[in-house]
Amino acid sequence: MPRIDAHLHVFTKASPEFPREISDVWPAEREEPVEKLLDEMEKHQIDQAVLVQMAGASIENHRYLLRCLKEYPNRFVGIGLVPEGHPNPVEHMAELTDDTGIIGFRFSTFGGPRDIFAKMDVREFAAYPIWECAAERDYVLWLYPNAINAHLLPYLIEAFPQVRIVLNHLAVCPGAGKFSWDEFGRPQVQVTGYNLFMHTTYRLARFENVNVHLSGQYAFSKEEFPYKDLAGWHHGLLGGFGAKRLMWATDFPWILEEPGYGKLTTVIEELLPNLSDAELADIMGGNAKRILRFPDL
Amino acid sequence: MILPTPEEKKQWEEEGYLVFENAIQGADLKRLQTAFDHWADACKGEWLDRVEAGDAAATFYDIPNPLEKDPIFIDIIDYPSYYGALMDFTDHDLILLGPQVRTVAPWPVSYTGWHPDVGYDNPLHIKVQIYVNDVEPGGGEFGFVPGSHKRDSGPYTRPMRQESMTGHKTFPGKAGTAIMFNSCGWHVSMDNHSDTPRKSIILIYEKRTPGRIGPEQYASISEYCQTPERRKLFSLDG
Repeated sequence: MPRIDAHLHVFTKASPEFPREISDVWPAEREEPVEKLLDEMEKHQIDQAVLVQMAGASIENHRYLLRCLKEYPNRFVGIGLVPEGHPNPVEHMAELTDDTGIIGFRFSTFGGPRDIFAKMDVREFAAYPIWECAAERDYVLWLYPNAINAHLLPYLIEAFPQVRIVLNHLAVCPGAGKFSWDEFGRPQVQVTGYNLFMHTTYRLARFENVNVHLSGQYAFSKEEFPYKDLAGWHHGLLGGFGAKRLMWATDFPWILEEPGYGKLTTVIEELLPNLSDAELADIMGGNAKRILRFPDL
Repeated sequence: MILPTPEEKKQWEEEGYLVFENAIQGADLKRLQTAFDHWADACKGEWLDRVEAGDAAATFYDIPNPLEKDPIFIDIIDYPSYYGALMDFTDHDLILLGPQVRTVAPWPVSYTGWHPDVGYDNPLHIKVQIYVNDVEPGGGEFGFVPGSHKRDSGPYTRPMRQESMTGHKTFPGKAGTAIMFNSCGWHVSMDNHSDTPRKSIILIYEKRTPGRIGPEQYASISEYCQTPERRKLFSLDG
C-alpha cells in the first residue's frame, strides 16, 4: 500500500514565469520546491502527495503547481484555490482542472448566514454554485472552515452527498484573530482547551462522504512533538470517522525545521498507538489513494 | 420536601432516570420562560462574536452566569418537585456543580453524540434537564439508555446515528418537564429536525465530597442563600 502525504505546499521564487503573492513568511526569494519535497519523501519512504496551492488564487498563481503536477503525474494530485468573490468560479475551476492533475479546491467560507438560528436556504449560500459544480464534475472539496462558517457545512453536505469532502487539519475551524506564525515559521492557531469541534465538524462524521486529514498538530498543540496533548482529538476523530476516513499529512514545508519531516511520518503511531497495522496503513496512504484516486505507481 | 415513592426509587436504581411531568408550571414556569428568553436574547450577540473568534461552539449557547441574572434560576436549583428525590438519592448530602441555561439550534445533526459524563467511580453525579419550551419528537429531545448507569451494563459504543443506539429511550415533553438522570448513564440530545430551537436548563449536581466546590464559587448569590440547606447546596460554607 502506498504511503501518501495528504496535504502539503510547494512554491518557487516569485518570477514572471511563476508569479505568486508574497508575504513575510514566503518572500519573493524564498522557495520550497518540489525537488526538496521529493528528497524528503524519498528519505522517509513516502510515495505520493497532495500539493495544495498557496500564495495566490488566480490562474497565473497556479502555474508552479501545474508544472509540478505535469512533471510528476504519478506522484502528485493537486488542490487549487478560487479567488474570494470570483465572478465566475465555475469557469475558473474548469480551467484549472482541464487534465491538469488538480482534483479539487480549498475553501474556508460558504457565504451563508452567520447565525445558526437564521433561516437556512442552502441555495442562497454564495458557495452553492461551487458545490453544485463540484458535484457535477466530481471535484474534491478541501475544507478549512472559519469558525463562524462551520455550522453551514451540513446543509451543503446534505444537498450534495456525492461530493468528496476532506476536512483539513484535524477538522479544526480557526477563529478570527487566532492565527499567527511562530519562530520556526510555522502557522499557529490558538484554540480553546475544551474541544469545541466535537460539537461542529466532528459531528459531520454522520455523512459518509466526509473525511479528515490528520495534520497541523504543531499549530494547535501546546507541546512539542509528538503533541501528546492532542491524542484525545485523534482518538475522537478515529472514534467518529473510523480508520477508513482519516488521512495522514505533514503540511510541508512549515515543519521542515521543527519537528522535521521524518518525525512527522511517525506522528500517527505516536498519537494512535493502538491502531492495527491495516488501520495504520490505511491512514498513512491507503485512504488517500482510494478517496482521492491516486494513480497506481 | 417531596420524597420519592418506592416505585420511583426502584426505577432510579434500576433504570437510572426519572421523569417529572409538570415539574414547573403556572406562574413559576412563565417566570422561568420570560427570564430565559430575555437573557438568551440579551446574550446572543456576544455568543456569536465568541463563535467567530473560535471561543464558543456554533451549535448551541449557554447564558453566562445565569444565577446572577435572575433569581428564578436559583429557585429552580432546589425546586420542590424534584429536590426531594435529589436529596434522597444523595443521602441528603447534595451540592450543585452548576447550571447550563442552554439554547440548541435546529441543525441537520445533533450537537453531541451519545456519551456518559462520568465514570462509575465518580461520586453520584446527577443531572436534571428541564424543558423551557415544548420539545416534540425530533426536536432535540433528551435520549437515555435505561440501565446504562450500572457498572455491569454495556459495553456501549457510540453509533453514527443517534437513533441507532441500542436500548435507548427518548423523552419528548412539555415545557416544565424535568428529567433526572444518573450521569454515568449514556445520554444524548437527539437530532433536531424541527424549526424550533430547544430551550432547556441542565442542572448538574453531585453527592458532596470535601473541597469539590469552594465557597467562592457561588458567593455572588449568597444573599439568596440564607437557609442552612441552601448554603450547603451551594457550598457557601466550604
